[in-house]
Amino acid sequence: MKLAELNSGAKARIVSIRGKSGIKKRLQDMGILPGEEIVVQKVAPLGDPIEVIVRGYSLSLRKGEAEDIEVEVLE
Amino acid sequence: MKEIRIVVAGNPNTGKSTLINAISGAKLQVGNWPGVTVEKKEAELTFFDYKLKFIDLPGAYSLSPFSIEEKIARDFLFTGAYDVILCVVDSTNLERNLYFVIQLMELGKPLVLALNMFDEAKKLGYKIDVKLLEGLLGVRAVTTVATKGEGIDELKRALVEVAERKILPKRLSYGEDLDFILERLRVKLREMNPELGKEFHQIGVLLKILEGDRELIELLKIKVSEEEIRELTEHIEKVHGEDIETFLADVRYGLASGVVKQVLSKPEIRKITLTERLDRVFLNRYLGIPVFLLLMWILFKLAFDIANPYVDFVDETISGPVAKWSGALLEVVSAPSWLSSLILDGVITGVGIVLSFLPVIGMVMLLVTLLESSGYMARAAFLMDRIMRTFGVQGKSFIPMLLGFGCNVPSVYASRVLTEEKERRLTIFLVPFMSCGARLPVYVVFISAFFPERSGTVLFFLYVLGILVAISVGIIFHRLFYKGVSSPFIMELPPYRFPTLRDLWVHTWMKLRHFVIKAGTWILAINIVIWVLLNLPWKPENPQESLLGKIGSAISPIFKPLGFGDWASASSLLAGSLAKEVVVSTMAQIYEAERPKEENGEINFLEDLKDIVINFGAKTKEAVVNVFSTFGIATLEPEGPEEAEGLLGRLQGHFTPLSALSFMVFVLLYWPCFVYGIATKAELGSFKLYGQAILLHTAIAWIVSFLIYQLGRLLGF
Ligand SMILES: Nc1nc2c(ncn2[C@@H]2O[C@H](COP(=O)(O)OP(=O)(O)OP(=O)(O)O)[C@@H](O)[C@H]2O)c(=O)[nH]1
Ligand SMILES: [Mg+2]
Repeated sequence: MKLAELNSGAKARIVSIRGKSGIKKRLQDMGILPGEEIVVQKVAPLGDPIEVIVRGYSLSLRKGEAEDIEVEVLE
Repeated sequence: MKEIRIVVAGNPNTGKSTLINAISGAKLQVGNWPGVTVEKKEAELTFFDYKLKFIDLPGAYSLSPFSIEEKIARDFLFTGAYDVILCVVDSTNLERNLYFVIQLMELGKPLVLALNMFDEAKKLGYKIDVKLLEGLLGVRAVTTVATKGEGIDELKRALVEVAERKILPKRLSYGEDLDFILERLRVKLREMNPELGKEFHQIGVLLKILEGDRELIELLKIKVSEEEIRELTEHIEKVHGEDIETFLADVRYGLASGVVKQVLSKPEIRKITLTERLDRVFLNRYLGIPVFLLLMWILFKLAFDIANPYVDFVDETISGPVAKWSGALLEVVSAPSWLSSLILDGVITGVGIVLSFLPVIGMVMLLVTLLESSGYMARAAFLMDRIMRTFGVQGKSFIPMLLGFGCNVPSVYASRVLTEEKERRLTIFLVPFMSCGARLPVYVVFISAFFPERSGTVLFFLYVLGILVAISVGIIFHRLFYKGVSSPFIMELPPYRFPTLRDLWVHTWMKLRHFVIKAGTWILAINIVIWVLLNLPWKPENPQESLLGKIGSAISPIFKPLGFGDWASASSLLAGSLAKEVVVSTMAQIYEAERPKEENGEINFLEDLKDIVINFGAKTKEAVVNVFSTFGIATLEPEGPEEAEGLLGRLQGHFTPLSALSFMVFVLLYWPCFVYGIATKAELGSFKLYGQAILLHTAIAWIVSFLIYQLGRLLGF
């Protein structure tokens, strides 16, 4: 499943990240790496971007980038 | 005295600039969103017999930069001259911060950690074993609360000690395989670059080479063997099943989370934070955007209502007692009549009127400072991203735009957080549509003269119109000229924070200071030129026959369809293209010249002083009543048909409410000021964008004012 498909409140574990090298590198530097837990906190009023919690802090990113993050849903 | 150069680095928004301010008394810009500091800044102080020189770097998430300001940080860390690195760590966010600390450790320089935001960590119930952390990393760590100045002394001592004794951080193990590869690379590098010093053989550099950071390799001027590197990375990819970048991030984050597991204990039950509660409203699906607009309306109305009585006060004081005393003084020293006229009609009228708006401008600066420090900036970016994307920029572009409510100039620099060149240019181009403090005098004068009962609403309309025009122009320009795609929106949302009163005051004053200095220099100079133009050929019968009058009359037909085709408006707009404060200055000077001169009243210094004090009290009372009336608690008694005199009365003679509105809209949108122009040159390397902006903004201003005036007339206003 993709991160972009999760509803707010959903909890998941990151499986893999695809995407252009620069963006992928940035996401990784922000702590988005396989094996990490990630929680979808909020979706913006216009449906995009989304806010997630990863490694204990809030990060916002677009659905476009979230499409490239493969996750497995927890619970 | 021995100088110690301390470079301050760390993740964005961890409190680096706040900490330097606390240590050295500097007044560096701070704010609660990532990306406040966008260039290197310095501050220094003496500590015993040391001169500590701090270099504030923009924040960075890693040494692989994503935007201009991160590149500045990386380049300085690799090539700058410094004795010790002070890494400021957000204690509530240890894991991601340690990921950066680990990269700093790779540079092989003395390193000290400031575990900042320790108050917030405590409040969350976090316990950090500082001694263990120091032991694991081999660095000194000091807990600090930058906003309260806690831990500063210990930090200074640690910095001196670590710099003097050159205490280097531990060399962490990255696993047998990678350690072996790095060793091989080091030997190879030394062979190929025998002339380079040992700082080039640090793991930081080796890892950068392995990662293939071409930019940095070029910057350091080192020779590498592409083939050798390819061989090594292929080996890693084969053995570990990951590409090199993922592998390195994995290794470093692995180390970081290993350390965090040992040193940090979090409480079992997590409380719901204030930030989460607030975001339920501010980022609500349905309420988010309406709440933003409502907040803006309340804040602007409050700012206007509180400050407006003081505008009258300063104005009455300057045009009353101050002008009277100066006149008397000039008479005493028997100054020539041209000099008295220059000082009274030119300087006191022209500059005085600008100064009289400082209370209003100050209130708006206070609001901008509040906005900056609260954490709402990042939320605004989050809310607006979807809209901004339709024209090829992104949510982060909205931050410079909101900052533009204070002054457009810092916004130009703040756009560095944008990664795509086109997106940055377009943002800079749109910023002047955001109504800055210099335009307020025009609004205040016209609103007081024509819309006294609807002050908040009209002001709100102007600010929102600025945003709407920026968005519409953005959409059109995106189609025609700047066909860029917006860069990815990846942004940290910091928790909401309350600024300390001291910070609020310092940073409001820093913004206001800009206007005061400008009033005493540029605005003064322009006013003198205007005075000269208004009095040449020498002392004309009628101001319209002056040089200024002739120029104004020549261009005034352009403005006729907009509702203000008189020469005074035209001259004021022309002069105001340099700086928008000058629009009212020029009007005041012209109307002053048209006014029949009367004799000065009696001079009684003490009497006048008493009047000033009494007047101040009365205005304060008025401001307080205004605040309550904003919330409908009390209603303002209209003081009967106000007989406006001076500038306001003159305006009422020359404008109708509709043409006044059209005039304000024109001032809002036309010709960005020249200080903005200089900033764009500094950032983009040429005046090309400023030239385009002058032409296009003025054309857009004309069209919008035309529509407002003509539609208004059709509707019968
Ligand atoms: N509660 C608390 N807030 C702090 C502390 N230090 C800084 N802040 C706040 O954190 C925010 C960020 O501070 P800055 O000094 O601008 O951070 P910076 O690291 O310079 O940020 P960039 O320049 O964007 O990299 C501001 O709102 C500060 O008031 C602290 O120790 N405790
Ligand atoms: Mg800073």
